[in-house]
Amino acid sequence: MSLPLLFVDELRGFYKSKVMLFLWVGLPVIAILFRFVQVTTTGQEISFTVISTLIVSSLAGTLASVMLAVSIINEKNRHVYELFLIRPLKRRDILFSKYLSVYLCVAIASLISVLVGIVTDFAMGGTLSSAVFDSLGQSLAISFSMIAIACAAGVLIGIVSPSVLVGAILVIYGGNQISVVPLLPTLLNISYADLFTVGLAAVTATVLLAIAVYAFNHKQF
Amino acid sequence: MSGAGSTDFVVLKNVSKYYGAFRALDKVSFTIKEGEIFGYIGPNGAGKTTTMKILVDLISNFQGEISIGGYQVPKERTAVHRLLGYLPQNVAFQEWRTVNHALTTFGRLSGLSEQNVNNNIPKILDLLGLSEVRHKKISQLSGGMIQKVGLAQALIHEPKFLVLDEPLGGLDPLSRHQFKEIVLKLRNQGSTILFSSHILSDVQDVADRIGIINRGRIKRIGTLNELKSDLQPQNIVEVLLSYVSDKWIEFRSIIGVKSVEQPSPGRILVYLLEGVDEAKVIDDLVQAIACLKIRVRGITLLSPSLDEIYLNYVQESETA
Repeated sequence: MSLPLLFVDELRGFYKSKVMLFLWVGLPVIAILFRFVQVTTTGQEISFTVISTLIVSSLAGTLASVMLAVSIINEKNRHVYELFLIRPLKRRDILFSKYLSVYLCVAIASLISVLVGIVTDFAMGGTLSSAVFDSLGQSLAISFSMIAIACAAGVLIGIVSPSVLVGAILVIYGGNQISVVPLLPTLLNISYADLFTVGLAAVTATVLLAIAVYAFNHKQF
Repeated sequence: MSGAGSTDFVVLKNVSKYYGAFRALDKVSFTIKEGEIFGYIGPNGAGKTTTMKILVDLISNFQGEISIGGYQVPKERTAVHRLLGYLPQNVAFQEWRTVNHALTTFGRLSGLSEQNVNNNIPKILDLLGLSEVRHKKISQLSGGMIQKVGLAQALIHEPKFLVLDEPLGGLDPLSRHQFKEIVLKLRNQGSTILFSSHILSDVQDVADRIGIINRGRIKRIGTLNELKSDLQPQNIVEVLLSYVSDKWIEFRSIIGVKSVEQPSPGRILVYLLEGVDEAKVIDDLVQAIACLKIRVRGITLLSPSLDEIYLNYVQESETA
């Protein structure tokens, strides 16, 4: 079974990449800076935890999508995959390993940002009400769902795009738009919105990945 | 020279490949015997890389039949992949990998246990002179070193069939020599090898048989001697003088000699008449050299080089 091997391998490559460095460190820093801007410009204190989660949702998904698409396009164009494809492994495992490793890295980076938010709120003398935790749960569900779809879109765009430029355009105009699908249950006020959010994300990500795998399986190198 | 067995390990039958209206391969057929090095030569765009990519299953939509080690390509691809080692023309690795990491991954993906990978890596690195860069990032290595890492990944799992696409590109003369030694050693250990190169002398040094391809068609397959016999004998004797002298003009008077010329100082070409006994003329030439007291460095009856054979077939098909 090559998937676990490839997954650990990709994880090793991604977690110390420059983009991930930005996610590990830059995201919490931006979130903290954003809090002070928010305070001075509006004079209204809102839970920093929620702010962090909102920032994570928008930034992390985009970065994950761009990171995957660019990585796949580059490796494809440099013929890196040839050395993998001549070995006894399933082509889909290459894509799944990339998807899972980036998803895991970005999800952890998101959690770190949220934890920084909680700690900052607590350190600034605020108390963490149960309402904050309720909204935090929903925000995390949306955030992780958006990242899941963004990663799947990144994989698909990486496979079908001939160049990094085309890939970047597709991520901005396609990947970003489709990753807001998990917001629909909340916007439409559906009961059990969290469950629907996760379910919708799972279905959308699966469909996008299935198309990517089909395209990759039929690709001639 | 050949350690080839009698079994056909690789068989291509009428393999054709089109890119739209462009015909990249046209009914290509050849076999490679077990334990044989098959040299594959042709100009740019002739179809060498396409043939190799089809063989290693990177291109799967083609017409015709291919089997490797008795397994059909691409139908039995997993079994075929277990037999394969491949060094592409432009080998590339993910930039964050170290040499050790790349070889570990590719060894494990090829089905080796962790223990076998750990045993094989030092041996391969030692063989290729890469031990010192084992823990370096591949992106920090020179082009020649990366090419060697490329060969290392192709050999790490001791494949039965090795496909080398322009393997000597970017290597210095010493590395090229070592590379060819390794290829010959692998052949002697039983590996079957497909070796393509633009540098014909390299193919000549290692190949048991040679296939010439142009415009997607196989023009000729044979041993070097068989290919040489295709060309008309040149009937030229080359005499290398130890010092520059005009006495060589006297060679014209030898019976059987058509003409004599000196293309460069000290290098004399003696053209023989058609149908003459070459050995008799060379004997007379030696006697003339002794009589004229000319000191020489060598006398050689010139035979067609692989370059000339290659040009003959390529130009022939260009004209056609």
